[in-house]
Amino acid sequence: MVVGDVTTGTDVLVIGGGPGGYVATIRAGQLDLDVTLVEMDAYGGTCLNHGCIPSKALISATDIAHDAGDAEEMGIYADPAVDMQGMIGWKDKLVTRLTKGVESLCNGAGATLIEGRAEFAGENTARIVQDGEGQGSESIEFEHAIIATGSAPIEIPNFEFDGERILSSRDALALDHVPESMLVVGGGYIGMELATVYQKLGCDITILEQLPDALPAYEEDVTEVVRERAESLGITFEFGQTAKNWEETEDGLVVRTENDDGDFEEFEGEMCLVAVGRRAVTETLNLDAAGIERNGGAIKTDDRARTNHDHIFAVGDVAGEPMLAHKAFKEGEVAAEVIAGEPAALDYQAIPAAVFTDPEIGSVGMTPEEAEEAGFDPVVGQMPLRASGRALTLNEREGFVRVVADSETGFVLGGQIVGPEASELVAELALAIELGATLEDVGATIHVHPTLGEAVHEAVKGARGQSIHY
Amino acid sequence: MAFEYELPDVGEGVAEGEIVAWHVTVGDHVDEDEVLADVETDKAIVDLPSPVAGTITELHAEEGEVVDVGSVVVTIEPDEEDETAGDDRSAEAADNETAAEQETAADESEDAEETAVPSGRVFAPPNVRRLARELGVDITAVDGSGPSGRITEDDVRAAAESEEESEPERKSAVSKRSDSEEGTERKSAVSKRSDSKERKSAVSKRSDSETKSAVSKRSQETESDTQTAEPAARERTAAVPATRKLAREKGVDIDEVPTEKSRDGDPFVEPEDIETYLQAQEAGETAVEADADTATDATTGETARQPVSREPYRGIRRTIGEQMQRSASTIPHATHHDTAVVPELVETRAELKERAAERGVDLTYLPFLLKAVVAGLKAHPVMNTELAEDDEEIIYKEYYNIGIAVATDAGLMVPVVEDVDNKGLVELAREIADLVDRARSREIDREEMQGGTFTVTNFGAIGGEYATPIINKPETGILGIGELTERPVVEDGEVVARHTLPVSLSIDHRVIDGAEAAQFTNTVIEYLENPSILLLE
Repeated sequence: MVVGDVTTGTDVLVIGGGPGGYVATIRAGQLDLDVTLVEMDAYGGTCLNHGCIPSKALISATDIAHDAGDAEEMGIYADPAVDMQGMIGWKDKLVTRLTKGVESLCNGAGATLIEGRAEFAGENTARIVQDGEGQGSESIEFEHAIIATGSAPIEIPNFEFDGERILSSRDALALDHVPESMLVVGGGYIGMELATVYQKLGCDITILEQLPDALPAYEEDVTEVVRERAESLGITFEFGQTAKNWEETEDGLVVRTENDDGDFEEFEGEMCLVAVGRRAVTETLNLDAAGIERNGGAIKTDDRARTNHDHIFAVGDVAGEPMLAHKAFKEGEVAAEVIAGEPAALDYQAIPAAVFTDPEIGSVGMTPEEAEEAGFDPVVGQMPLRASGRALTLNEREGFVRVVADSETGFVLGGQIVGPEASELVAELALAIELGATLEDVGATIHVHPTLGEAVHEAVKGARGQSIHY
Repeated sequence: MAFEYELPDVGEGVAEGEIVAWHVTVGDHVDEDEVLADVETDKAIVDLPSPVAGTITELHAEEGEVVDVGSVVVTIEPDEEDETAGDDRSAEAADNETAAEQETAADESEDAEETAVPSGRVFAPPNVRRLARELGVDITAVDGSGPSGRITEDDVRAAAESEEESEPERKSAVSKRSDSEEGTERKSAVSKRSDSKERKSAVSKRSDSETKSAVSKRSQETESDTQTAEPAARERTAAVPATRKLAREKGVDIDEVPTEKSRDGDPFVEPEDIETYLQAQEAGETAVEADADTATDATTGETARQPVSREPYRGIRRTIGEQMQRSASTIPHATHHDTAVVPELVETRAELKERAAERGVDLTYLPFLLKAVVAGLKAHPVMNTELAEDDEEIIYKEYYNIGIAVATDAGLMVPVVEDVDNKGLVELAREIADLVDRARSREIDREEMQGGTFTVTNFGAIGGEYATPIINKPETGILGIGELTERPVVEDGEVVARHTLPVSLSIDHRVIDGAEAAQFTNTVIEYLENPSILLLE
């Protein structure tokens, strides 16, 4: 204890106000628990401030400009001018609106909000450290704690983020001008999404990826659609390249890489975005004081989001892969409900995922291969979007909807969608999987015409050999 | 071929055991002799070791389920049989791992992979899965009756009922239930635990002991010095803060609220339980076991349901009950009461306590008491006996193993301190503390509760003066200790306050006579009142 320390008590201490933490806070408040939320940076976490929301804002805005200038086929001739600062300003405004919204929701749920960094001082005590010397600190005695400290971008050796030449995804969402050219280290979803934004804004993008393809987590026929579109937009892919170091030049930098043959190559650009993944943030927590176990970098949790201590929970990115905001939402809810004594558990059958590239990717559950490995005899239905009336009216011909089901029972096991609005379309299949719906159930459901959702419908019927339009 | 492991006879002639906690889950690899589960049988929890090395493919019992000896509890795929497949799989896993490692440096692989456990795929909507958790039903073992075998609410409810039903059914030789028709009917509705398909539990189990040790130390009560008798209420209750608050507001001691639910091994109280308890109290009724069904007046149609709560009579509770019944129904008990005036003992113990503390031992009164008892047993050998009814012999024991009755959350346990006559006070104190701790945390071995020759029960730690202890068969005597406190004593014609210790000795009157009981008590009291003569022992 430091002189000037104050001690308070709470039923539930939530550390971190991102998607995992704020949902846990609100849910705990709804369940009449006395809850305290400690946030050291900004409510809404990475998702609202430096991730999902700002990137989607830039993607949508860029698409408006890009599509308007690329619609001659439809008889539209335009050359939109983009004011980058204006676009970033608009994005910042809506981020502020959303984070304020989160803060007021937490207040509305009756939570006590504290700004500062929380670290454990024991199994039932945390210290809230404020910035600045001589501030003293507050100690909180808690019955339960929910750790939701999130994640941070991974740095690779020799590529420390400086916000000028070497950018993290966070920096890339707040540039004040569109650079002439940009190198992107990492062809995963973050790298691909931001590369697409800047390429469409007129920046010359080169993606340096270690593996032989972009978005290596997805099946080849899925990534192929996205990669080919990216290439047609002018993005250059350099596969098998491992970034080694960099040097500043007069108007940018040169990045040295080692290729698969062991030879060194050099790439020039005005800036370099490094997007090679994210890591759990635990270093601020003093986990050892509470004896909380980790599993690699992330905190180890069970199917109730509990750590090795029954009264301490961990949710969201800090609890490990997949680092998705909607996984954090679910875990935050479950943690609060378990604390309130409800029979909640992380018993979901699948976590859907989306990549907001052009076109989008949406996926949920098993691929045909995964279904086979799991012991099912899968049946597959696939509907190409070039056979969808609605897709053609959107001037889209690429992409498809694939549905995977168990041939014996007809239960829907998974789906992969690549095409416009794939992130929305995947929700229907996620619902089918979670409810234990069969191909017949989804096939018998009337879908609105003309919509992209019909493509899901057709794929489902196709799996039963009953597709009409394809 | 998969190895179907049947519950062995883990104790002496034990017919069934309760799976308290699994140490493994489906998919785990176990070595030979690795502990698979904690099984509660008699007055102890025993480890269930794996007979083979292999991979767990199915657990056939839920935690908390009572399993007959000889029924299959776990299916293990032995290593040898599975060599090729196993190698392939691990090689593949290793490949995946390396791939994943490479990927983390290069891309955000995390985005793509669904965490769904393919083998845990359950075709049931979320509300049904939640219901299964609520009712404690293993949903992976439920056969669905919906379209394509989807599991419905009714299926889960039927499975829950069948689990409840199966217990009295198993005891059909004992229970005289006339609902055999209904029983069979229900049985047909019972979901089969199909072994044909490989089903795996989607829910990873946490072992109870693990959970226990993980429970914050804070909640562990500071035990009073020699608390060894049965408590009037629970010592520990699990409840969420809101429930505790409700209890406080209603002026209810949460430890007194009856509940049949438990969470992580502790009794779990919810707001309804508090309401029910209050209603019962208002009606001038304590919520005790009563048959709610018979309380329904069928002729008038009025429901005269009295609030009750039920808890299963099994495991340690039933073992205690059966032991007590055996003792009380075969042994003619006689109880002798007396009081020791012990200011010197209080003084001596206070002095020695500091010395003992230097050696890291908390010296309680119990070691003195055990020494005094052993002195009494030596002086009156008839107290340290066993009646071998079949052989028509009284066996005099020339060793002194004293059982100590310990109240635990699970019920009464009697760990045994061996060879008390050969041990010093500090050694005894240390050993008692260890035994009591492990009895409370249920980590004590069966063997450590066997082989006693005489028992001491210290109900006085909770309060009270005299009681009628029931003898721990096959012993022939048990000494109950009341509360050590200042009471009025007449000395030289004046009433003065002195520390006194009431004692209650129950004897097996078949073996011991009242006079012998009184003499033994006198000896014990003499040693308690003059602790310095313990030095002669």
